[in-house]
Formats: sequence, structure tokens, C-alpha cells
Amino acid sequence: MRLRRWSIVATLLATLLLATGAGAAEAPTRADYVTRLEAICKPDNEATQRVMKGARSDIQAERIALAASKFARATAIFTGTVRAMTPVPRPPADTTKLGKWFGYLGEQEGYLKGVTAQLRADRTIKAQRLIARFIHSGNLANSVILPFGFDACEFKFSRYG
Amino acid sequence: MRRAPCSERVGRVALSALALSVALGVLAAALAGLAQGERNQRGNLIVSLDGRLSPLKLPRDRQAPVSVRLEGGLTTADGTTLPRVTRVAIGLPAQAAIATRGLPTCSQRRLRNATHAEALSACRRALVGHGRLESDVLLPNQPSFAIRSRLLAFNGRVGGDRAVILHAFAADPPTVVVLPFRIRPGSGRFGTALVADLSPALGPWPRFAHFEVTLSRRYSYRGRSRSYVSASCPVPPRFSAGFFSFARASFTLAGGGRIGTGIARSCRAR
Repeated sequence: MRLRRWSIVATLLATLLLATGAGAAEAPTRADYVTRLEAICKPDNEATQRVMKGARSDIQAERIALAASKFARATAIFTGTVRAMTPVPRPPADTTKLGKWFGYLGEQEGYLKGVTAQLRADRTIKAQRLIARFIHSGNLANSVILPFGFDACEFKFSRYG
Repeated sequence: MRRAPCSERVGRVALSALALSVALGVLAAALAGLAQGERNQRGNLIVSLDGRLSPLKLPRDRQAPVSVRLEGGLTTADGTTLPRVTRVAIGLPAQAAIATRGLPTCSQRRLRNATHAEALSACRRALVGHGRLESDVLLPNQPSFAIRSRLLAFNGRVGGDRAVILHAFAADPPTVVVLPFRIRPGSGRFGTALVADLSPALGPWPRFAHFEVTLSRRYSYRGRSRSYVSASCPVPPRFSAGFFSFARASFTLAGGGRIGTGIARSCRAR
């Protein structure tokens, strides 16, 4: 009986140790995390710039449907980027900050979807209000990750046309 | 209808006042956050930039007089010494234009060794702006200290180029710095670039920390009213506002590095 209890305790301890060891091995440093995320963001940024090319002049020339399709493609890229970044293991010391950052990215995604929908419905004033919110959330997102030194994963208004 | 008892009404008023003060507090906090502007960090160094056009409401199809306010600078995340800056470049948006035709100029020579009042008296007719400049000074074997100076901006010419000549004066310790920003065509979204090379003659001690400048001047030339800075808000008729890359500040560091940040702002069409 005593032997069985000891074996249970030993098994539990071993499991715990293994789990802790595995966790420690998976926990990346901030630098590792930045490198992994930058590798995700960089190609997506380039793709965003490609699809948004000319969107400003489309709006100027009131080619709203064409601008909406460009925003739709940019939204799909943004969603894909956030989806690819989410499962990347986060440095344990930065989980709160990164949680907040992902919160702002979620807001931005919602605003981009909204802009696309409003442009498709030809509601330009509503679209422009959502663009203002999108930019504001982007700036807030940037302020959260300032110490990380992101480049490609940072919000830059200039990428959107 | 039953009137609420006095104590209940007082309670409601107190609650409304509390709600209002909370709302004002939230607004103040939001504005304080905005006042910082946009920031960017590379390693230990943080660059910040903020700015605005005034008025915000502008014609869609023609330029109108505006003032441009810019504020920014460098800081380190851990409070250590700032690196030396060798060049400052500020990009201004394509829909804003700087007009100097008919505006008197002031030479750097007249501003050297001049106090704030002397600079004003010598070149008041060329005045195009004002502001503040803050630098950290590092002298060997001494703790660093900050110099906060008042800034005047004058219209001028440097080597054939139009220029904004900044005159910074601090009374304590007595310091005068004359910094010419050449006005050059910008690139990309920025139609105009203001570029200043910080002369090695300034020495290795002053470190550029923070600036704040407002450019604005109305003058008349050949019977017509003119503005030093003008801008439009070229949005299509079905939009009431537009967003644009408003400014970009870029600092070249001694040793070759560079750090910069850009800001986007909106304008409203009238």
C-alpha cells in the first residue's frame, strides 16, 4: 500500500517536472518572439502595400467599389497575419502587454472589416469615421509594443494607400 | 408628478457632478495620451513626434492659410545619455506649401550672438514662427544638465536654397544656437523637407533632446494677402474628412544610425 502511494507521488512529480521543463524550453525570449513575428509580418506588409496601391486615388476619383475591393483584400491579409501571430508562444514576462496589443489588433481588424462593408454599401462618411478609429487603434497598439522594437509588425498608416 | 425630496435631488446633482468629473478626467487622460504623439523605439532610443494643422477645416480645391505645429524629440528608455545628432530632417505633407515670395529674409550672421530680443529687433520682418528647444549638455567630469531655450524661426536663404533659420536663445546658461533648415523638395507623401545639418562646430557636448515649433506668418506682397504656410484638404465631395501623412521626423546619429517616425493626421473639408 505504502509502495503504491510512493509510486503515485513519484509519477506526479515526474509529470510536473517534465511539464515545467517543456514549458521552460518553449518559453521564448522577447528577441526570439520579435524575430518570429517580424518574419510573419514582413511579407504580409508587402502584400498589403501591393493590394492597397492606388486606393487613395480611387477614393479621390470616387471609384468607391474599387477602393472597397482593395480594402477587402487588405482586411483578409490583416486577419491572416493576426491569425498566424496568435499561436506563437509569448515571452512569459510580456503576456499582459501582448494580450493588450492583440486586443488592439482585434479592434483594428473589426474596423477594417467595417470600412470595407461601409464602402461596399457606398456609405462614405461612415467609412471615414471607421478609418479614423482604425488609425487611432493602430497608434494605441504601437504604444503598447514600443519597447519591443518591432518594425514590420508596427502599425504604419502609410501602408494603407 | 411627485417632486423628488430635497435630499434625493441633492444626491442626483452630486452624482451628475461626479459623472461629469469622471468624464472630464477620462477626457484629460485621453488628451494627455494624445499629447505624446507617435513614438518609435530602436534599441534604447525613442523618437517621438506630434503635430497639427490649424485650422483643421480647409477648402477642398485651393490652399488656405494655416499654422503648422510640430513637437518631438529623442529620449532613452533607461535615461542614459542621448547620442549626438548630426542631421535632422522633417517632412511636411504634399498638400501643404511654404511660400516665401515677397517675404523679407534674415541672414544667419545677424542672428549669431544675438539675444532673443536682439534677434527679434534685427529680423522681426522675417519672423515665421516660434517655439522651444531643449538640449542635454554633457561636459567632461560634470553631471549633465539641460538647456531650455526659446526658439524663433526666420525666413532666410542658405547656399541659394530657401531656409527656415532657427534661433535658439537661453539666458541661463547664456547660449545662442543658429540652426538653418534648408527647404527642399520632399519625397513620397512629403512634398517638402526641412533639413538641418548640425555643425561639428557645436562640439560633442550638446545633445538634441526636444523641440516644439509653430510655423505661421501672414504678410502682404504687392497688395495681396499671403501666408507662409498654406494647405488644402483635397477630399472628394462625398467625404467630409481626409487622412494624410502629416509629418515625418528623422534623426541621423553620429556613427551613422538613423531613427525616425511619422504621424498621420486628418483634415476636414469645408
